[in-house]
Amino acid sequence: MEKLLNKNKFDTLIAGLKKQGYKTVAPKKDNRLVTLEEVQDASEISLDHVITNNSIKEFFFPKTEKILSYTLDKNKVEMEEPKGFAVKSVIFGTRPCDAFSLPVMDKVFNWDCSDKFWVERREAITIVTISCDKSDSYCFCTSVGLAPDAKQGSDVLLTKISNDEYLVETVTEKGENLVKEMESVFSDPPGTPDRQVATVEEKFDLKKIKPWLDDNFEHDVWDEFSNKCIGCGACTFVCPTCHCFDIVDECTMTKGDRVKNWDGCQFTMFTMHTSGHNPRSTQGMRWRQRIMHKFKYYVEKFDSTLCVGCGRCSRVCPADMNISEMLELIETEAGK
Amino acid sequence: MIEELRKKAEELLKNDTVKVVFGYGEGSVPERTRPVFITKPEDVNKLTWNKYCVYNLTTYLKRQETRKLGKPAIIVKGCDARTIIVLLKECQIKREDVYILGVTCDGVGDPLATKCESCDVHTPRIYDDLVGEKKENKEVPFEERYAELDEYEKLGEKEKWEFWQKQFSKCIKCYACSNMCPLCFCDRCIVEKNQPQWIDSSAHARGNLSWNVTRAYHLAGRCINCEECQRVCPVDIPLNLLNKKLAKEAEKNFDYRPGYSVDDELAMSTYKEEDSQEFFK
Repeated sequence: MEKLLNKNKFDTLIAGLKKQGYKTVAPKKDNRLVTLEEVQDASEISLDHVITNNSIKEFFFPKTEKILSYTLDKNKVEMEEPKGFAVKSVIFGTRPCDAFSLPVMDKVFNWDCSDKFWVERREAITIVTISCDKSDSYCFCTSVGLAPDAKQGSDVLLTKISNDEYLVETVTEKGENLVKEMESVFSDPPGTPDRQVATVEEKFDLKKIKPWLDDNFEHDVWDEFSNKCIGCGACTFVCPTCHCFDIVDECTMTKGDRVKNWDGCQFTMFTMHTSGHNPRSTQGMRWRQRIMHKFKYYVEKFDSTLCVGCGRCSRVCPADMNISEMLELIETEAGK
Repeated sequence: MIEELRKKAEELLKNDTVKVVFGYGEGSVPERTRPVFITKPEDVNKLTWNKYCVYNLTTYLKRQETRKLGKPAIIVKGCDARTIIVLLKECQIKREDVYILGVTCDGVGDPLATKCESCDVHTPRIYDDLVGEKKENKEVPFEERYAELDEYEKLGEKEKWEFWQKQFSKCIKCYACSNMCPLCFCDRCIVEKNQPQWIDSSAHARGNLSWNVTRAYHLAGRCINCEECQRVCPVDIPLNLLNKKLAKEAEKNFDYRPGYSVDDELAMSTYKEEDSQEFFK
């Protein structure tokens, strides 16, 4: 289904969603950041950015989450599972790369067992994406098989066609239902809309990456490229597809919570064994793991690249490590 | 100045005074530089110097990956050189193990970094060699040095609490702040210890408060205000406000500012009978 949405209807749309019982999450500007967060009113929404600082990940897989509460008695253990974590919501104005991270992550969260925290939120949340009308030099979605107006993972895709108007395309049944529910805010689409979509330069040839990775577990580039890495977790935490987590008990003698927290492969402690042995003892090994997981292991296991080209890791890196530069380097090495 | 820096680096590598030069190279965009580690004399043209050289490269003195490259020459601005003094005082490095290549500096960042507004170390206070024209290190009055805190200090207790609650709620526990800090050098950080679990590893209100406050406390009387923690924070928490507040308290109570002289006695590990004891009540 195709429709047209005028910017001056955003107010009615957000108010309408609220009335229908949806929580709305949208890009909001706060000082130097633009972040996806809950909004009450369309006036809070910011649209003048390349990409939000936080990814869509936290709305499905939060940075910290209680998965179980328990009390211990002399003779019994009582457990209680959390309820009400999946809230009917609309994420409005996310980017196509972020939206695509969802079907990529569905594969791992439904792999050997289905992660109900992920799955139930996926059902409860509708994704209304806005195609990118601008990009920056960190963007590389086109190198990983996406585009600034890609539809995969979105329920509805909006694409700017003039300063005030968006072309509305429904992608899934969920999206179609949402548009029907809010029917009054949309109008009929123009015949030949002029889609304003950003250009994103293709930086490397994905086809050349995996064959090189298959043969070069041991290579000098791993250490050479990563010697400036300070070993923090910023890249993995802002990444929409990094999904490692740690499970800890926060407890007293008689009761506690079991908590699932983001964890990252760039931390020294991530692979530390209780014996004191660390199989990934250097930053070069940890950096290699990040690249291998995204461009080799995940591809082999799930037939999908674990990177959507959003460029967030490169933007936030304290030492200006740039992932697409690494992949360009691999492409050069592969050509030698 | 770039040429002078490159020439000096080349010389040091050629005559084997050092094995590696820690410096600044061109970044992925013109507004950024990145740390580079030059090991061959023919690579010195990778070195650069401009207003985007914000990094405090002394953090690489603690990392095993860069330590194993051999004896370094390290390019330091006046503020970074203060770190070296603290690292020497805290026995983290030996003077003869580091060649200090000081650069004089008029300030970095665009817009100018806050730390540069009240700079009194345009010329490093410790170096083996100095590149750039020597500048006068004018003393900056106490009030001016802590002007950044003026607005914050006007807040009431409740407002301060609310301010930090909001700021810390953004924390994602990536630990970029402590990993980047050249003075956070413990092999095993308190946050990594779980018997007992001193600090909750969760990025919830309690875990974030205890982490951020503990980090700042461990730097009281040690932090030299390089602002690297704040620069690298991916969620934009004004961490330096905490550091600066603690630095101000340390200075008020112990008349001490870290990193100005290797002859100083460290505030936190020196007992003096006349020290203020007001906090024991």
